[in-house]
Amino acid sequence: MSPALIAALPFLGAALPSILIRTGRNNAAAVSALITGLALLGLLLNLPTVLAGGVVETRIDWLPWLGLNVNFWIDGLGMLFATLILGIGLLIILYARYYLSNRDPVGQFYTYLLLFQGAMVGIVLSDNILLLLIFWELTSLSSFLLIGYWKHLPEGRQGARMALTVTGMGGLSMIAGMLILGHIAGSYDISEILKHKDAIQASPLYLPALLLILGGAFTKSAQFPFHFWLPHAMSAPTPVSAYLHSATMVKAGLFLMARMWPVLSGTPEWFYIVASVGLITMLLAALIAIFKHDMKALLAFSTVSHLGLITFMLGLGTEAGALAAVFHIINHATFKAALFMSAGIVDHEAGTRDLTRVSGLRKLMPITFAIATIAALSMAGIPLFNGFLSKEMMLEAAFHTSWLHNEWLVPALATLAALFSATYAFRFISHAFFGPVSTDLPKTPHDPKFGMWLSPAFLAVLVVAIGLFPMVIAGPYVQMATNAVVGGGYHMHELKIWHGVTPALFMSIIAVVGGLAFLAAHAPFQKIWDAMPRPEAKVMFDWVIARAQALSDWVTQGLHNGSMARYLMLFTVASVGAGLYAFSTGMIGAPTRELTPVNGAAIVAWILVLSATLCIVAFHHNRILALVMIGIVGLTVSISFIYLSAPDLALTQISVEVVTTVLMLLALNFLPKVTQIESSRFKISFDVALSVFAGAAVTGLIYALLTRDFAFPTMSGYMLDNSYNLAGGDNVVNVILVDFRGYDTYGEVTVLGIAALVIFALTEALLQGASSRKLIAWRPDVARGGDKHPLMLLVVTRVMMPIALVVGLYIFLRGHNQPGGGFIAGLVVAIALVTQYMASGFAWTQARQKVYYHVLIAAGVLVAGITGAGALFNDMPFLTSDFGYVKLPGLDKFELATAAGFDLGVFLGVVGSVMLALGGLSRLARRAAMGEQEGENGPHIAAEKPEARVLAPLAAGPYPPEAKVPRRWWKTARAAKEATQAEIAAIHENKKNHGGDH
Amino acid sequence: MTSADFSTILPEFLLALYAMGALLAGVWFGKDKLALTLLWATAGVMLVFAAWIGLGDIGAHVAFGGLFIDDAFARFAKVTILISAALVMVMSADYMLRRGLLRFEYPILLTLAVIGMMMMVSAGDLMSLYMGLELQSLALYIVAALRRESERSSEAGLKYFVLGALSSGLLLYGASLTYGFAGTTQFSGIVQVVQHGQLPMGLLFGMVFLLAGLAFKVSAVPFHMWTPDVYEGSPTPVTAFFATAPKVAAMALIARLVFDAFGQVPGEWSQILALLAALSFVWGSFAAIAQRNIKRLMAYSSITHMGFVLLGLAAGSAEGVQAMLTYMAIYVTMTVGVFAFILAMERDGQPVTDIRALSLYARAEPAKAMAMMVLMFSLAGVPPFLGFFAKFAVLQAALNGGFIWLVLLGVVASVVAAFYYLRIVFYMYFGKEVEPLDGRMPAVQWGLLMVCALAMLVGIFNLFGIEGAAAAAAAALVN
Repeated sequence: MSPALIAALPFLGAALPSILIRTGRNNAAAVSALITGLALLGLLLNLPTVLAGGVVETRIDWLPWLGLNVNFWIDGLGMLFATLILGIGLLIILYARYYLSNRDPVGQFYTYLLLFQGAMVGIVLSDNILLLLIFWELTSLSSFLLIGYWKHLPEGRQGARMALTVTGMGGLSMIAGMLILGHIAGSYDISEILKHKDAIQASPLYLPALLLILGGAFTKSAQFPFHFWLPHAMSAPTPVSAYLHSATMVKAGLFLMARMWPVLSGTPEWFYIVASVGLITMLLAALIAIFKHDMKALLAFSTVSHLGLITFMLGLGTEAGALAAVFHIINHATFKAALFMSAGIVDHEAGTRDLTRVSGLRKLMPITFAIATIAALSMAGIPLFNGFLSKEMMLEAAFHTSWLHNEWLVPALATLAALFSATYAFRFISHAFFGPVSTDLPKTPHDPKFGMWLSPAFLAVLVVAIGLFPMVIAGPYVQMATNAVVGGGYHMHELKIWHGVTPALFMSIIAVVGGLAFLAAHAPFQKIWDAMPRPEAKVMFDWVIARAQALSDWVTQGLHNGSMARYLMLFTVASVGAGLYAFSTGMIGAPTRELTPVNGAAIVAWILVLSATLCIVAFHHNRILALVMIGIVGLTVSISFIYLSAPDLALTQISVEVVTTVLMLLALNFLPKVTQIESSRFKISFDVALSVFAGAAVTGLIYALLTRDFAFPTMSGYMLDNSYNLAGGDNVVNVILVDFRGYDTYGEVTVLGIAALVIFALTEALLQGASSRKLIAWRPDVARGGDKHPLMLLVVTRVMMPIALVVGLYIFLRGHNQPGGGFIAGLVVAIALVTQYMASGFAWTQARQKVYYHVLIAAGVLVAGITGAGALFNDMPFLTSDFGYVKLPGLDKFELATAAGFDLGVFLGVVGSVMLALGGLSRLARRAAMGEQEGENGPHIAAEKPEARVLAPLAAGPYPPEAKVPRRWWKTARAAKEATQAEIAAIHENKKNHGGDH
Repeated sequence: MTSADFSTILPEFLLALYAMGALLAGVWFGKDKLALTLLWATAGVMLVFAAWIGLGDIGAHVAFGGLFIDDAFARFAKVTILISAALVMVMSADYMLRRGLLRFEYPILLTLAVIGMMMMVSAGDLMSLYMGLELQSLALYIVAALRRESERSSEAGLKYFVLGALSSGLLLYGASLTYGFAGTTQFSGIVQVVQHGQLPMGLLFGMVFLLAGLAFKVSAVPFHMWTPDVYEGSPTPVTAFFATAPKVAAMALIARLVFDAFGQVPGEWSQILALLAALSFVWGSFAAIAQRNIKRLMAYSSITHMGFVLLGLAAGSAEGVQAMLTYMAIYVTMTVGVFAFILAMERDGQPVTDIRALSLYARAEPAKAMAMMVLMFSLAGVPPFLGFFAKFAVLQAALNGGFIWLVLLGVVASVVAAFYYLRIVFYMYFGKEVEPLDGRMPAVQWGLLMVCALAMLVGIFNLFGIEGAAAAAAAALVN
């Protein structure tokens, strides 16, 4: 059967048990067994080829752009592991049929089990490391489902979480290792990678790749320091523990190390990392196992210890080590699965598996006793059982190993580990099955049904058979697999029970005798152990997670605390950092431009701007003052435009300045005049430093740019040359506005109009509902001047009005050739109108105002558009201007340009927009003043409108003036609002009650 | 302006007409009566446009004198944008309706944003780049604050606006410097100037500031500050939108800019992108550990993912661009699925965002929990789900581009990130007893959740031609 089909079979059949469960548990189990058996049969059909040293392959392209292909192969190593997985799988399916109760969702269980089995078979048969990775993570996933199957146990949850976290993360780290390996070898096919030993070991990336891959292998195989998750995963149902945590999944890590052995092993790094970790794991886990009372926990730690042994053997990097590893993989799988199943039987029949509670089961459960004893003796390394053989090999190999030139350390530790191993094996037997018969068990134990003990019994038979006739039963398999591990060309010596009197034999005898002695003294040692403080891995794991979480919390709270200032700070630092990076890596030549000479006026203006800017920062808490300072800056800038020969800009700037100041004054009216100091002194100085830093950076950049030439000369030359010829205007700026860039201007006027309409809509909305009530309740926070409409101002503005209008007209008309134009004229006229509002009041002005500003805006846009469209009749593109000279009687010859029509549109649009925006804001002020008058007129209004009185403090600002402003100001605002509403409700309530009294 | 120009921008043009028509219709029929109809109609229109663009003609067209480029790359991004926007829209209908948020402006604003994005990915000039970007951003600022009676939503919109304006300023500064020192705003012109050797100072500054401004849009660290707050504060459907289409557009725009305008000096920008990538995935995965709010968590998750996408881009190769595009398509699918689930996270009809509320969710809702688990594993990049292939391709491209240490760092980051994705799975399967969430989930959301989860599995067998389209797109961009 093709390898791909073997790997696919369990997946294809996975749904069947869940479906067939409706027809009974037996059918579900039977179909699972059938599928597994079929896959096993298919695998064994390939056995002759593989035994003969051949390799069976299936190659399918999948995602070639990733290098991911569905390549399967069966070589010796894959054959060994696949046989173990499917064979033990078959036994587990049988066992689980009897172990699981009626109430358990058995169908689901078998489905997950088959998925898991498929994933495992996939791992061992993959000839592509990406494919292997996929199956690798699938085992994590399906094991998660299998463990999660026992949902009702709380410790099961913790165990599953830890198992998946640790192995999942290990698997992800392995991805990087695999990526590097594939990068070096130029292919992701394992068979290809295995050919590149020299290239891989010579690569500078060898160590990172090794560490990452070992990270995956060690976490999966529960090697120190990741050993802690395995015992905690044991709360899963016993069939799961027996399958996943002894025979298969945990061996995936070992498989990977064996698989990569030809290319990764043989270096000092490999030896010192892998062998040391294996040795430490073997020793440490064995020691812990001795003191575990839960039979499954004892077996779990013993599994960790034995995995350590195999890792240790692989880590040696010698052929003898590989042989021992392969052989022990087989042996361990047989005896440990049998032991797990026995423990499960005890648990199932006795209701507990606590070694301090069960004892003397020998008499009650003779069959179980026999099976467990055989398996445990094998685990202890007693001759005639298979565990002895591989343990001898291990000790022999350890004897010849020196660690950092130390000859005795490794043999001593290995012997000690073997001693511990013997101890817990003996303890398992003696405490559970010997001694007085325990009477206080939840159930009266007896041997289970035939089907339940059949599987472990079969394994026990294997244990003995291999132990007695290793060469006949296991020899070919071991040879085949070891050959695959070492990369071919391996010839095994005969597996024998008796090697003569060797050092390993002495070490073995020491281990067994020492183990018996330790067991005899177990009780006092247990007391010492219990009293000893020792690191609890689970606690540490939780601690690490909690610390990481707290640290992350702390850092994110610090950086993402919701404060805008903090974000802006980060933004500024990052931007300046980006600039500095550009500065440090770029080439900057010498300045190519001369500095213009500096005279007294420039210095004065410069000092003025600078000090005004500083004053804005210093006095920004006083808003009016800050506005004045901004005005100074604006004026100085206008003056500097004049100084730099840009009268147009100066005119524009100065009129815009006036309009914006008026608008801002209107808006500021409703805000508290003084803002509070919120920041600490430290924060302020930090912010000062930061802003100076950022400012200096920007200054430096601009200085550097301005003293160098750009890529090409400026466009002004073209404009100067062509403005008169093409557009008939001397004022280049105006020509650009109305002609060369007429499209832009047209768009801008439209946008300006829309903006004004939006302001109007917004203020209109504010005049209704809750915000209107707020406005009415608003009281100015500073005392008002006595006279609302001072006579002097009134007179002056009314006299000035016609003059201002004429000035506007003048500026408009001269625009085409002299500084001026529709935009500036519009602003000038708007200012003239605004002064009327200011001096004479809204009502007075509004009453005399006949034109709607909406109409002005619309007219402006339309006029500009129509003028532009006129060009179309002339077969010119939209907005092309035309001009000519006209002579009227009594006047000099003067020029008429269509651009003037366009400019008129601009003019109208600007006037309309500014006035509309201003009108909207004034209406707000008026509404507020209305409430003010009512308040002045007497207390009766306040009594009729109780909300007004209550809302008054709110309207003054979002927070009470005396309070230091909290960072999240809205909380206070919301609290105040709620309080207010409560108060209003109370007042209404009160009034109603009073009404009732009368 | 010729008719050829107009036929090239016909999709954008028609979509803009549709948006204006919808606006007029919405106003004409009065307050939000048309909202639901418009929502579905808009989603339908977008899907039709996606099919039109995706199945339409092949080849590259340049319109408006180089301002607008329509090539395989742009089309790939446009189809992704349109489909994800349509999906987000249909799955938000129920949520918006029940919370009274379904205003008729919502689909129109999203349409405008989508037009902006389509402009962005087709931009061949700094001018059209900025136009598209601002059209998108302005619409997004408003939808972020859509729930205007909620302070959090308003705050989110305001923060997004202020920071977004700053980043736009930075970008404009970069654009003007580039213009000043290249003498043109057209990408094809800039690339002529930088043909020979190193970048002059002004251009380097220009490029750095352009990239910084765009980094804000993809929420790459250190320009990411707005992301968690905006994700949390915005209504969930808007968050879902933020996490999908705009990210695709901005990422495509960055790719367009670096390859078309600065393609001759990959060394200059790939370092910047690599730095942004590394900071993003490290910070994104680390900061997410502390998050209990699933929307904030998804914010950091998107930061992490954008880091990986940038990593692919930093490789500076066609392989990297292809990996990046595939990644974006897969990321969008995953995100849509997850948000379809988040939208239905309710208890007693009130939205819940605490991930602990998902405890033992699997017991009550095995199918949904399973779908969510698949999506979480996929987001974590665990094989065999599609997310793994996305991540793997990016890492591979970066490795071939010589960013070995960055790849290692990326793997460490994805290991850390796996922790918080898997934590959600744990809560669903093994959590403590809490008051259960409502089982209610509208059919659209349920369907999207299942389809997206299924795509994570089916995609590993057949990517529906995405890899081919991505390869063609990458070839169009890198030549």
